[in-house]
Amino acid sequence: MTNLTFGQFYPAKSFVHNMNASVKILLTIAYIVAVFMVTAYHFLGFLACFLFVIIASIFAKIPFLRVLKSIKGILFIVVFSAILQLFFITSGNVLCSWWIFTITDGGLLSAGYITARISLMVLGASLLTLTTTPVDLADGIETLLYPLKFIKFPVHEFALIMSIALRFIPSLMEETDRIIKAQKARGADFESGNIFKRIRALVPVFIPLLISSLRRAEELSNAMDARCYASSKNRTKYKKLKLTYRDLLGTILVAGLIVGVVYLNGFYAFLTVAL
Amino acid sequence: MQIVTENLSYVYSPKSKDMAVRALKNVNLTINEGDFFGIIGHTGSGKSTFVQHLNGLIKIQKGNGKILIGDYDLTDKKCDFKSLRSKVGMVFQYPEHQLFAETVFDDVAFGIKNFFPQLKDDELKSAVATAIETVGLNVNAIKDKSPFELSGGQKRRVAIAGVIATRPEILVLDEPVAGLDPKGKKEFIKLLHDLHNSFVKTIIIVSHDMNLVAENCNRICVFSGGEVVQVGTPKQVFLSAEKIKDLGLELPVTAYLTERLKEEKGVIVDNDFTENSFVTAVKKALKGGEND
Repeated sequence: MTNLTFGQFYPAKSFVHNMNASVKILLTIAYIVAVFMVTAYHFLGFLACFLFVIIASIFAKIPFLRVLKSIKGILFIVVFSAILQLFFITSGNVLCSWWIFTITDGGLLSAGYITARISLMVLGASLLTLTTTPVDLADGIETLLYPLKFIKFPVHEFALIMSIALRFIPSLMEETDRIIKAQKARGADFESGNIFKRIRALVPVFIPLLISSLRRAEELSNAMDARCYASSKNRTKYKKLKLTYRDLLGTILVAGLIVGVVYLNGFYAFLTVAL
Repeated sequence: MQIVTENLSYVYSPKSKDMAVRALKNVNLTINEGDFFGIIGHTGSGKSTFVQHLNGLIKIQKGNGKILIGDYDLTDKKCDFKSLRSKVGMVFQYPEHQLFAETVFDDVAFGIKNFFPQLKDDELKSAVATAIETVGLNVNAIKDKSPFELSGGQKRRVAIAGVIATRPEILVLDEPVAGLDPKGKKEFIKLLHDLHNSFVKTIIIVSHDMNLVAENCNRICVFSGGEVVQVGTPKQVFLSAEKIKDLGLELPVTAYLTERLKEEKGVIVDNDFTENSFVTAVKKALKGGEND
């Protein structure tokens, strides 16, 4: 449970770590758009995105393997969707067929395309979470959502809820681990039986967990009240987000990536026409 | 059942080099049947990791030592952990946080149902009633209540009833008196002794409270950095006061006063660091002083 890399901060002092969180969020979105702009089966575009991730992780001083590990968390989804594509897309030439399953080159291409798309998307997103602390992330989102204030959307409260939720994930994981152990010590069995039995076995874990979350929430709100916390509009920020040359450079790099992907798409189109 | 560990080690997240933490290093420890055994050491010294090995909540890593508990060999692949867990009860810190059932009865019955599913209804009822009575609560007044409407002290008792309901021979308690008021603490310690005098043969208690350990345990061990640095009677352990202080631990009040009397007055009160033996020794020393 503890080796889930997705959403974990990797402490380091680097170019990317020091970038403005809101800019990083926008650039991540732009990067994901770039990944999605790669038209079907133009794998050179994916290669460009992959290169971008490598360059970004060098700038972020994060071992590339560590970034790659973030795929582990969604490996099931990747494999599942790849298999679906592989078996259910029947266009193109038949490569091999067995019983009711037929694998075609169309299916194979499509499986590869989906795999690359999801993996690259997650790699980019985890680069964001690896280089940005949850608090900065919430701050960045708050800044980005600022325009919504004009339609009376409680932006600050929303950001606060998010940062509290992020902050409590590790604590709740720890708590879950403890409760599971306590119930195991009383003979609870989470590993055998059919699916319904296993779900029922989780009741003695979820109820204490729910109660302790409520208790924590109450304690936290009391602590905040005791310090007169109010999300009034006069609230100043402890850490002000600033724009620096890093953000400009990052933006240029991502813009370059988008141009590159568009160019490669065109290049393919040109090739298809020419051949 | 005797507990013997041989060269027991444990590493957290052994796969990643930068995050691996050695929590236990070559722990060789024998806890005899009948012991009221204390484990002390500061936070992160490996105490909790150690006790969680004793009922297989943490599995021994390959090639990292052995644990024998009675006839159970915990390194054996065929080891029946379920039956082991019915023999080795474990009470975690703040056990009241693990309550979940709709009624006190159901919560106490949880362990019994898991370990002995073949038990008949009336047998189950009587076992639950005995457990609730053992922890000093009134069965009829409490059994149909929701555990969440009880007071803090009652909740903790119910949680412990849930653990002792299966009549474990060994009871392991991790910081059992944390958060109890002085009266609750006293009653709780009395409960432990009552249990120790009936079916629980061995009690292992992890605590930061040196007074509690000195007063109640017949043997204690000190953990530091995942190693057992001292084992012995409270007297043997707390006599090496400097060593205990170097480890960032405190002395029990009796040992502290014994030390001060020696340093400031030159009076040597030889005692076991329990309240009674300290008072007796001081009385003796006072009498000796009058005779001078």
